[in-house]
Amino acid sequence: MNELVLTLGWLGIYAPMALGAASSAIGCSIAGMASIGAMTETEGGYGRFVGVSAFPSTMVIYGIVIMFTLNRDVTPENAGGLFGIGILSGIALMYCGIWQGRACAAAINATKEKPEIFGLALAPAAIIEGFGVFAFVFALVISAGIS
Amino acid sequence: MSDQDAYIALISSLPGSERLFVAKQPPLSRLRLDRRLKALTPEDAKVLKVMEHALNWSAYDMDVTDAQAVLRCKQALAEIPQSSLRSLFLERMDLRTVVAALRLRGQGGNPPSGAYGFGLWSRHIPANWGDPDFRLSTAMPWIKEARQLLEAEDPLGLERLLLSVSHTQLKRHAARHLFDFEAVAIYVLIWNIFDRWAQSNPQNAAARFEKLAQQAMSNVADFDFERVSA
Repeated sequence: MNELVLTLGWLGIYAPMALGAASSAIGCSIAGMASIGAMTETEGGYGRFVGVSAFPSTMVIYGIVIMFTLNRDVTPENAGGLFGIGILSGIALMYCGIWQGRACAAAINATKEKPEIFGLALAPAAIIEGFGVFAFVFALVISAGIS
Repeated sequence: MSDQDAYIALISSLPGSERLFVAKQPPLSRLRLDRRLKALTPEDAKVLKVMEHALNWSAYDMDVTDAQAVLRCKQALAEIPQSSLRSLFLERMDLRTVVAALRLRGQGGNPPSGAYGFGLWSRHIPANWGDPDFRLSTAMPWIKEARQLLEAEDPLGLERLLLSVSHTQLKRHAARHLFDFEAVAIYVLIWNIFDRWAQSNPQNAAARFEKLAQQAMSNVADFDFERVSA
């Protein structure tokens, strides 16, 4: 039984990093495809499209920081806490990354028609980033209570 | 419902459908559109072809009968798996059914008993043949204007009204689809409306033809005949 509990603890430590990396990969690829499509239709502003398509990469950074914060000797007493915080923060980051990629793709698609709305079009992606930051910060706060 | 991220690059590579209607020149030719549509999977390409084949009047022979047209649309509907596309296809059929009934009545015909259309209202219309708007003015607010244009024998005005109604229907469905196959199909159908719209303006068509002819002639003028003959 202890082995299973310890395994879950290790799973919790690595989950934010793994799920964050997966979400960044999916989000960046979604936004990246939109930027490639927009480049074939527009005459300039390519750098902006590529820059926006990299937005979801922040999720893996949050995941790495959470992983290092959770990283400690895993014991039967702290494994449950590590598992809970790690898995749930990882899932939150994963959703944020994927949907941020979609928001960025929509922003790129709209911006290619109307470059003047570039800043406003990024607002949904920025709001999703805020939710990712919430998941990140409170994972750090809660993890301070784990022995 | 299809994969919502299936055609992100394709959709992003197309000019916005709103721009089609404000541009003086088509921002996207059919040739270029077809080239972009090569990104569709064979299954999706087939569904799109079936839809266009059934919805474009140019794909029908001049002597097609009502029964043949209805049969083609029923067969097409059976090959469209996406619920949104089925829904917009049926809406277009409803529109055609109502216009067909208005035309029949305008020619002094009796309530149709055979295949003159299909869909939600195909039985309701013969039952309300005596009402000027077939008691459909609530469900289809445009029917009164369509009837008036038919009575005034203004086919161009009627064509524009029907294109405008179809465009509104498509935009309503487009709001629910961003990067999936439905979004691509709706875009192509809107492009077809734009194409019909552009064709219904003879002055624009003449100007466009003249410009194309001039372009073609300038290419001939640049041609190096001496090098060819050498």
